[in-house]
Amino acid sequence: MKTKALLIDLPRCTGCRGCQVACKQEYKRQAEKTTFFGGPGYQNPADLSAETWCLVTYNEVLVNGRHDWVFGKRQCMHCEVPGCASACPVKALEKLDSGPVIYHREKCIGCRYCMLACPFVVPRFEYETWNPYITKCTMCAHRQVAGGIPACAKACPTGAITFGDREVLIREAEHRIAGNPGGYVHHIYGMEEAGGTCVLHISSVPFEELGYVMRVPRSPMVAHTEPAMKAVPMVMLGLATVLGASYALRTRKQRDNQPAESGHIS
Amino acid sequence: MRRSVLNVRLSIGTLALAAIAVVGIGLALYRFFSGIGAVSNLNQGYPWGFWIGADVLAGIALAAGGFVVAGLMHMFGGERYHPLVRPTILTAFLGYLLFVVALMVDLGRPWTIWHMIIYWHHESPMFEVGWCVMMYTTILFMEFLPVVFERFRLDRPYAIWMNAAPWVAIALLVLFTFAMTQSVVWVLAIAAVLIAFEWLIRLGIIHRDPRMPTMLLMAGIIFSTLHQSSLGSLFLMVPHKLNHIWYSPILPISFFVSAVAAGVAMVIVESTASAWYFGRKVEEELLKDVGHVLTWAIFFTLALRTTDLVLRGVGTELLVFNTPSIAFWIEALVGLIIPLALLLTPQFATSGRWLLIASLMVITGLVINRMNVAVVGITSTYGATYYPHWIEVAITSGIVAAGVLVYLVICSNFPVFAHEHRRPAETPELAAGLAAHA
Repeated sequence: MKTKALLIDLPRCTGCRGCQVACKQEYKRQAEKTTFFGGPGYQNPADLSAETWCLVTYNEVLVNGRHDWVFGKRQCMHCEVPGCASACPVKALEKLDSGPVIYHREKCIGCRYCMLACPFVVPRFEYETWNPYITKCTMCAHRQVAGGIPACAKACPTGAITFGDREVLIREAEHRIAGNPGGYVHHIYGMEEAGGTCVLHISSVPFEELGYVMRVPRSPMVAHTEPAMKAVPMVMLGLATVLGASYALRTRKQRDNQPAESGHIS
Repeated sequence: MRRSVLNVRLSIGTLALAAIAVVGIGLALYRFFSGIGAVSNLNQGYPWGFWIGADVLAGIALAAGGFVVAGLMHMFGGERYHPLVRPTILTAFLGYLLFVVALMVDLGRPWTIWHMIIYWHHESPMFEVGWCVMMYTTILFMEFLPVVFERFRLDRPYAIWMNAAPWVAIALLVLFTFAMTQSVVWVLAIAAVLIAFEWLIRLGIIHRDPRMPTMLLMAGIIFSTLHQSSLGSLFLMVPHKLNHIWYSPILPISFFVSAVAAGVAMVIVESTASAWYFGRKVEEELLKDVGHVLTWAIFFTLALRTTDLVLRGVGTELLVFNTPSIAFWIEALVGLIIPLALLLTPQFATSGRWLLIASLMVITGLVINRMNVAVVGITSTYGATYYPHWIEVAITSGIVAAGVLVYLVICSNFPVFAHEHRRPAETPELAAGLAAHA
């Protein structure tokens, strides 16, 4: 199966937040009571939350010497090798071959390691209930199964969100950047971040100015824990052998019920 | 007249502990109605905070005394350390139980914790942590059982236990291997080594310890080693969030090494404190030897950390005046540099009081280190900040206070400190029971 992806063409975004509303509607998530907040960005709500999985950010950026509104988008990046799924001890998060990273809520124990592991700070936790779950964008896996496209892509009126095969979308992104080298920064955010993601962003201004997380490793998150996990059985075998042998050597004089020597530590 | 409950005397100290425990546990119960948000400052940017740092990372490291002493006895044949074994196994066992209770508060859906047994994911460090907890708590419980057998004179169960415990330990180790690798080859390799060892003991080719099955001690050491290091492995997943003063590929090793040092320090503090409380004589000569081990453990931790920082080129960042570097220097001075200097100075090294002070510093330093890794060194994005809520601290304090009370109750009612354990082979019924099961 070809991996599906979303291409977010930020210069085409008008900040209408149709995607944000469509997402809420699709998943019947509650509206939020918000207040004006300090810090960069003027979007509402301020950030992703347990109720908001798709967010258009409003950023005031200096473009050609004058301040301009430039929009960004926050949602799950649907990594090719997701840190959240690698972190989850009970496989509550799963990467589908078709692209989406989905959440099996019935398995989740609520340890929140996925939130720590995610380089894009995406998974959210329901802190205000006695029976909390993790929540995040699912790339509308259920709509894809039914032959549809994600609700945000469906709602977007300007073509800023395109749904399609990941390889095709990467070529399309490269094509758009090459066709308008002055209009885009030469970076497809998500092509290499965290080992590659299924949500690709292209922008007219550097991504750091839109508040994108730049401190993302180029390798999948699991590459950092793999050596330690691979060592587990080796440590077990090594310890069992060394401990067993050292005990046998140390007690060889006692084994025939000879009077025990008092031990001493070197 | 002194009043007592369950043979624990009521004093201002024990009453205060009881009060802290009641408040903490009450607040913990409140959390199950209101959600974690109502009792903590944990948020979307900081999903882990004080509880992970104090209860999980520091708590488990401080419970390491049990395996350090077991290791000393086992590897170096320090039979003289035997009087320390039972109290440290008890503290380790209680420590683990407390940690599980504390985890119930921190987990979002603790009633689903058993999912770890049925949904396997051996790629996840958290899966390894969870399994180590289950396995090592079981081993500690089994290591503590002889105390119960002696108290109630259960000679027959004692004999059965002596026989069965090694096989249970082998079964747990093999099951753990399968869960962590899902590889038949590894399972066979580990099973072969363990069964061969146990067989040689049964055949009389390797000496059989009459007090404690060696396989049980080995399983304890293996699970502890893996558990301490896997807590470090958890943070290998966050190169993007953890300040690189602390983020290092050798996190699992430095967690293990520092846990050994803290475990040794805990043995010194526990022995001194319980001797004082129960009006016994401190085993001073013994503790001085333990102090010697502590010196080496701190030295090794310090050498490892320094080498790691230099090789990763972080040295210059430690000279900058900012929160992470200050946090690091407090951790290093309190936990490693000053105690090492104390222990290397002859007039301090020979004093029981200074040994205690150095040990307390090592323990404090370890708590700061784990807190630095879990909270201080973590940078989140989108302006999230975190500072522990007073209820978070109150719940942790309550659970620890409850644990100290349980420790006192057990020590006042069970032969934890009794030096003359009856060896199974020394009573006729036990000898007969052993023979019947051999």
